[in-house]
Amino acid sequence: MKKTWLILAAIALGASPTAQAKGDYEAGKAKSTACAACHGADGVSTVASFPKLAGQHRDYLYQVLKDYRSGKRKNPIMAGQVQNLSDMDMRDLAMYFSKQKGLTLKY
Amino acid sequence: MKLTTMTLCASALLLLAVPAQAAGDPRAGRLKTSMCAGCHGIAGWRTAYPSVYSVPKLGGQHADYIVAALKAYKSGERSHPSMTAIAGSLSERDMDDLAAYYASSYSGAAN
Repeated sequence: MKKTWLILAAIALGASPTAQAKGDYEAGKAKSTACAACHGADGVSTVASFPKLAGQHRDYLYQVLKDYRSGKRKNPIMAGQVQNLSDMDMRDLAMYFSKQKGLTLKY
Repeated sequence: MKLTTMTLCASALLLLAVPAQAAGDPRAGRLKTSMCAGCHGIAGWRTAYPSVYSVPKLGGQHADYIVAALKAYKSGERSHPSMTAIAGSLSERDMDDLAAYYASSYSGAAN
């Protein structure tokens, strides 16, 4: 039994570096419920004043969340939302929304 | 009578609601993208300063949000060196047109 845990832990440790750097889709999906109220369940907001997130670049979304948390970018709603997000949460959320179908590159 | 009043009220509300939306022209906007396309229109393009990350996609974004972002850059409420300079040179008409272009499915004539 103890051995099983050790093996599982080893697998988890081995698998984590990529997931940590880029974020985890499923974890992001689970954490995205708070975002859905304004940005839509899949990041396609139906209210014109709230930006669509679906399909946006992952690293841009991550940057924006960090900027809200540091106060560099100011928005009363977002400031409250990101207050308790960890770096990992932000990476996970950015991963999830970047994989949704929505925004496109337009020349 | 009641119905007429209600219809009139509803019509008045509708009339009020229309100009509240960003009333830009996608075709006019397409002709104003020269300052945007060099960064937002190139796949894989990243910002160079002050920090490095992918330039956001604009295709399909809400027009109202794009206008709000441009106004925030112009006023200084939102800051990014390039965007502050570019938004500062845009009129409200330009912002409406650009936002309408990026929000729409209109892609313009092939170059």
